[in-house]
Amino acid sequence: MAAGEDKTNFMLEACEELKNKEGNKSLTDEIIRQNTRLENAIHKLEAELKVTTRDLQIKDDIPGTKMKFTPMENPENDSQFLNISYSFQVNLQIPYELQKGQALITFEKEEVAQNVIRMGEHHVQIEDRDVKIMAQPVALDSGIRFQVHVQVSKVKIQVTGIPDGLPEDQMRDKLELSFSKSRNGGGEVECVEYDSTSRSAIITFVELGVADKILKKKDYPLYINQNCHTVTVSPYIKTNLEKFQVFSGISTRTVLLTGIEDIQVDEETVEDLVNIHFQRGKNGGGEVDVVKCSVSQPQIAYFEEETYGII
Amino acid sequence: MELNAARSCAIPDIHCLLEEQARLKKRFQELQQLKKESRISPQVKVPFPVPEFPLVFRGHTQGREVPKTSLSNLRICCPLPGGSALVTFDDPKVAEQVLQQKEHKINLEECRLRVQVQPLVLPTVTAIQVSSQTSGRRVLVSGFPAGLKLSEEQLLDKLEIFFGKASNGGGDVEIRELLQGGVMLGFTKDEVAHRLCQIGQFKVPLGGRQFLLRVSPYMSGKIQKAEICFQPVPRSVVVLNIPDILDGPELHDVLEIHFQKPTRGGGEVEALTVVPPGQQGLVVFTSESG
Repeated sequence: MAAGEDKTNFMLEACEELKNKEGNKSLTDEIIRQNTRLENAIHKLEAELKVTTRDLQIKDDIPGTKMKFTPMENPENDSQFLNISYSFQVNLQIPYELQKGQALITFEKEEVAQNVIRMGEHHVQIEDRDVKIMAQPVALDSGIRFQVHVQVSKVKIQVTGIPDGLPEDQMRDKLELSFSKSRNGGGEVECVEYDSTSRSAIITFVELGVADKILKKKDYPLYINQNCHTVTVSPYIKTNLEKFQVFSGISTRTVLLTGIEDIQVDEETVEDLVNIHFQRGKNGGGEVDVVKCSVSQPQIAYFEEETYGII
Repeated sequence: MELNAARSCAIPDIHCLLEEQARLKKRFQELQQLKKESRISPQVKVPFPVPEFPLVFRGHTQGREVPKTSLSNLRICCPLPGGSALVTFDDPKVAEQVLQQKEHKINLEECRLRVQVQPLVLPTVTAIQVSSQTSGRRVLVSGFPAGLKLSEEQLLDKLEIFFGKASNGGGDVEIRELLQGGVMLGFTKDEVAHRLCQIGQFKVPLGGRQFLLRVSPYMSGKIQKAEICFQPVPRSVVVLNIPDILDGPELHDVLEIHFQKPTRGGGEVEALTVVPPGQQGLVVFTSESG
């Protein structure tokens, strides 16, 4: 992208130079051409900006000790015997920037939270001082949730780095021959899908277990007319996204409190005092789940979906 | 369009064109700035109303990092070949000990069974990049009444029938998915989704009554990149190449007795599944809290 930008700047400079030689038809044409190019670049950027990309890091200890093992299951279909399938639901926590002097309070009941917001102004005793705190709803960003489905084939493998130089038909046969050799860990091949442009192939074996055996190593010998080439083998994996949903977050039980300023007490004490105040029915409150104050510096608070727990 | 306006100047005026160029240049730089910003703080900006989900703050705070993800409903389904078994021990150390010997000899009254043991290796997604974009062919149908007595399949069928009809403004449905708070329908043709969203509201018969449902654009997602790594399961081992001598229940007992013997490196067995030779088996792993 940086290269494209330089190019555009260069074009603009060139144009400035030409500006002095007026009345030239080729000059006008040149400017029109440049403008068209700029317009195209703008269209491309606009299209790119429509797509939002998110990077998600997922905890890498998933099949850890927390996994529960269920023995047999009646298979829904036969393809279940040919793949390891792996699926999970992802719910992103939504960040909310809690400014200095603000607090979040979550009540057990929605009605209590709504009542606290309706009352608006609250007076909390902090260090013998009457602090005026305003309660308001939390404005949240939109979030996404989706399911990830991964299938790792137990009978197919991906082969890359296949050498050039043989017609497609012949290469397909060479691949089948090499991957059938049991002394190299191969087995009976059911089919070979060869793509000569990417010089890669997908090999399907008849029996379970052959793919596993081959994949213990990263490469495999491919014999072509007395020459032995080394090709790379890797698992055949399919990933897809299901039940993707964008939603806007609304906070029903959590309330934003503002006005906790110029306070010389530490956060924990303030949190306790706020908690005590708002759990009293006579102050319009009720049972409190959690309080988080930002007295000295802003911090990020994470909102979660009500219905889903965290592993 | 702007370019045409410039051309329509009586004489192709160079100043006219240069002004146009300055404007384009400005727009280009604005967009580049936007792109830079969107890289720093990726946020989904949705140009139309999307369903509202209640969220709650449970006390989690953190520095400015990548948003935390929470996973649920984790399920791994793994096939086992014939003549194999999956042994899960109470203690991961026992599994390690068992795996130190690649081949185990199991003594029977009259003979010995030779079997191979292997770690159970399962795939794990460690990082994933997901992009979202307004979909040209998909719509979100929402506004379903609470307590609708229809199964997922029945509801999807009713919607496909209604929105599949050209007389209702619909067209051929290619994909359908029940979501929380709505149903996604994907059409084979571009213009159908656009047309339905413009109409916006439909009276749809569901279970003997008519309900007013809303149709809005759908943001679809795509996996741009997924990092998958293969990790051994700490407490389980796979036993392979079990000869066809004993029948299922007997084999189960023989294996359990063998792998419980501390003298053979074994220990307390929590679960054992046998797939007799000539058959196929499946094991399912789920997360304990889910």
